[in-house]
Amino acid sequence: MATPLATLLATLLSHYRRHPGQLAMLLLGLWVASALWSGVQAINASAKESYARAEALFTTSLDRLERLDGAPLTRDDYLALRRQGLPVSPLLEGELTAPDGTQLTLIGIDPLTLPGDSAFATANNTGELTGFLTPPWQTRIAPDTLPALGLALDEAPGATPPLETGRLPPLFLAPSLPPHTLVMDIAAAARLLESGATLSRLVSAPGALEVAPAGLTLTRSTRLVSPGQLTQSFHLNLTALALLALIVGLFIVQAALGLALEQRLEMLRTLRALGVSGRTLVAGLALELLLFGVIGALAGIAGGVWLARALLPDVAATLGSLYGAGVGVELRLPWHYWLGGLAVTLGGLLLAGTGVLWRAARLSVLDLGRAQAWRTGYQRQLRRTTLAGCLVALSGLALWTWLSRQPAGEGLAAGFALMAAMLLLGALWLPPLLAVALAGLARLARRRPLAQWALADLQLQLPRLSLSLMALLIALSASLGVNSMVGGFRLTFLEWLDQRLVADLYLDPPAERFDAVHAWLDERAEVDERLATRNGESTLLAVKSDSGERPLALPVSLFGLTPGNHLTPTWPLLETHQDVTTAWASLREGAAFINEQLAIAEGLAPGDRLDLASPRGRETLHVAAIYPDYGNPRGEVLMTADELGRRFAASADSIGIVLTHGADAEALAAALAREFALGRDALRDQAEVKRIATGIFERTFTITRALNALTLAVAALALLASLLAQARERRRRLAPMWALGVPRGRLLRVQLAQLGGAALAVGLVAVPLGIAITWGLVAVINVAAFGWRLPLHLFPGEIALTLATAVVVALLAATLPALRLWRTPPRALLAEEQAS
Amino acid sequence: MLEFRQVYKAYTTPQGPLEVLRGVDLTLEAGQSLALMGESGSGKSTLLHLAAGLDLPDSGEVRLGSQAISTLGEPERARLRRERLGLVFQQFHLVPSLSVIDNLRLQARLAGVEKSAWSRELIERLGLAGLEGRYPEQLSGGQQQRLAIGRALAPRPSLLLADEPTGNLDEGSADAILALLLELVRDTGCALLMVTHSPRIAAPLDRRLVLSHARLTSSQQAAQEATS
Repeated sequence: MATPLATLLATLLSHYRRHPGQLAMLLLGLWVASALWSGVQAINASAKESYARAEALFTTSLDRLERLDGAPLTRDDYLALRRQGLPVSPLLEGELTAPDGTQLTLIGIDPLTLPGDSAFATANNTGELTGFLTPPWQTRIAPDTLPALGLALDEAPGATPPLETGRLPPLFLAPSLPPHTLVMDIAAAARLLESGATLSRLVSAPGALEVAPAGLTLTRSTRLVSPGQLTQSFHLNLTALALLALIVGLFIVQAALGLALEQRLEMLRTLRALGVSGRTLVAGLALELLLFGVIGALAGIAGGVWLARALLPDVAATLGSLYGAGVGVELRLPWHYWLGGLAVTLGGLLLAGTGVLWRAARLSVLDLGRAQAWRTGYQRQLRRTTLAGCLVALSGLALWTWLSRQPAGEGLAAGFALMAAMLLLGALWLPPLLAVALAGLARLARRRPLAQWALADLQLQLPRLSLSLMALLIALSASLGVNSMVGGFRLTFLEWLDQRLVADLYLDPPAERFDAVHAWLDERAEVDERLATRNGESTLLAVKSDSGERPLALPVSLFGLTPGNHLTPTWPLLETHQDVTTAWASLREGAAFINEQLAIAEGLAPGDRLDLASPRGRETLHVAAIYPDYGNPRGEVLMTADELGRRFAASADSIGIVLTHGADAEALAAALAREFALGRDALRDQAEVKRIATGIFERTFTITRALNALTLAVAALALLASLLAQARERRRRLAPMWALGVPRGRLLRVQLAQLGGAALAVGLVAVPLGIAITWGLVAVINVAAFGWRLPLHLFPGEIALTLATAVVVALLAATLPALRLWRTPPRALLAEEQAS
Repeated sequence: MLEFRQVYKAYTTPQGPLEVLRGVDLTLEAGQSLALMGESGSGKSTLLHLAAGLDLPDSGEVRLGSQAISTLGEPERARLRRERLGLVFQQFHLVPSLSVIDNLRLQARLAGVEKSAWSRELIERLGLAGLEGRYPEQLSGGQQQRLAIGRALAPRPSLLLADEPTGNLDEGSADAILALLLELVRDTGCALLMVTHSPRIAAPLDRRLVLSHARLTSSQQAAQEATS
């Protein structure tokens, strides 16, 4: 015999047997919300696992020593320091190309001197030390790097795959290593990298050295930025988008639950009359929610893993190109991911279902048989949402006031909270706005009975549609906001590329032939101008401004350019000490420009002075201007290539070649290749550089676009689900109109116009809200997350697309119920009306 | 079986308190049937709700057997309804998503006292055989009310409370349903308190009382008062 609780649950669930559409809507909402959330969390978890592996190595957890003069360290430097009794360990780092073209990072270490608390050194204590140290040595490699070497897991141990410079020592699997990283003894690495006695750097345990040894600069591990820290904002952005999708999905769930409750109110009251206590009833409903939650969460997690697998390669490429962070393209999910997915879905469901449980708990059994109070309570609900909107607006205002007092680049989480407040405010004020607009329109349409009826009828539909319209508003605003930001970024980025890439050809000659190539180009008649560049690394030791001197120890990139006639008129500058011409003149005389990231991060302005470590000791540079440097995660100091070479002994990088009008670029390229035996990779034309840069840019926003489109699709589903759920009642309401002589086709058009109009109104609200979101993204989030500001661009096409999307989404959602109406014979409409 | 002792009940209205029951005393013995008549809004349904423990009196006592319903908490009153009472409503209040047989067995299952043979017998006697797999909306009004009666009697309650059980039916169907209801009540030995505004429907029951001006009087007394 069935237990009373099982009977109660079966009775509650029987509703969905008769209304499978509602069940589908509920599970779909849960599935979509959970899938998008879980998918992004899977990507985040997988990436974080890769960072954790990278951080557990030794790149960021150890203090770092480099030569003050910028020259490479050698084995002799290392031996000299060891002889002085200093606890340093040598490290050699280089790049190798796998047979499939993947760049592999090769790290050579000395396990005997490597500080013992680094993860790799600890792993070595488990044995195999002799094998690691002595020929034929070992190559430590993570299993997810094997595909790049064309090896399967079972054939990897002991294999010696060939690379360009020789065979790798026998492979030894080390799952804790980051992807695309090979670790071996420093002697074996030196042989493969053909680096001779050169070292990349020396490392020591954090704090083991109190001061830098003479001639060396010491960078504390606390000053080094780990990939996890660098990419934090990227993952936060993804999480925010996923949260948005989760919320939109939960709107569907709440709409479905609310509808199911409304339709089951009589059943619930009957059950109470038949002796089911209020507490048992709530328990039964909670059990039902739990059941749906578990099904939805499991399906959602499965969908999320699938989604993550599809998106991870693009995300890995983005993280690699933006931050240089290596992320494996294979999903590696920790145990807490699965539990987290389940918990978030169930938590969200509980949040969405709280209202249902609350109403069920307060259900008055004496209302049995009375008209349902759904609509009568709607006015009260509207007043409450207006009030809640006012509270959100006040909180947002307070947050904005607080944010505006923070230094630039601070307050990422507060920025997201501000955006969430804007979206919530829009959603909360939408139903009261629509209600007021409809009441006003109904007054205007007094002399047009069908229009008046249509508006009054739409007012009646509003309680049921408001949740899905709110979801649509959120999705549209977020879509407009994000697309405008991406569009603006794209425009700015392409303009910036055009401004910076003025040369027709870009040449990367080998360092030893740089001067020869430079001189050879000088003699060519078809070369109008040579724009040589250099680059290097340094440490920003202090900043001097009017307010005093501030000591620092910040690693910065150095970039040297040739301020030629073709480059300086177009090179973008954001801020100068005096004017642009003076700024360039100052640069030629030895001043520096800094990128926006460095200016925002350290609060620098033109006119300040920088103390940088150089081979000649401390170099002081005057800041003449700030320039935009999109996509660069690091602070950069720019000066002329000549100055950089002279004062910082920076190595030559590339030469931009500006050709005279009508010169044959291909002939020059062929001559260069012939003369200096340059490979195909050494010479690229401007279009190719732009194509590569644009490709990276487009890939960066693949996941953003995908999540945006999915969120919009979810909102469309929410609207469709709401319409389907009330389709039967709608048909009953339309029947009397048909009986009064309104043709079915006209009724159909009225229905489409009602919904299209409502969606257009939502779109009109979404436009200002979306613009506010764009502003928040470019002025607050972007600065805090990436360190640079974007100009606010508005695209009329994007706004028109938002409005069109709103209407199309609504019409698409209305098509199915409208088709059903079209197919229902008029008599059946009346029969339904009489049966109700 | 059922006893009302000096029961008072009033509702708050914009015009002030509305007294619905003023010191009502009522006794209904086991196996007895009682018709409660009165005009619309006279408080008949309120009295029925108090008897079912769906509502509580402002003062006085409502007892079912040895239990004072008015002193029980909500869960205990729900249990009492589930196990000892049967309710039949004018609007049937069947669960639209359950089949005929599942609707019939619903209360008995909730009370944990379902007997298959009795359910089967009820189906037969209510004339619902062959319709077990149908849903309420696929039944006529008379069939739906018969099903509601079956649901109320399936747990073999000691008291059946019926609120205008034939109010939604035509005369012929109403008479047939009433006859069936009384027959089943007699066979199960439970007491019946039926609210109706129709003297014709009230006639076959053992006793008839009229609720008027918040007080209970016998039907003869009510008739005399009306004449005078």
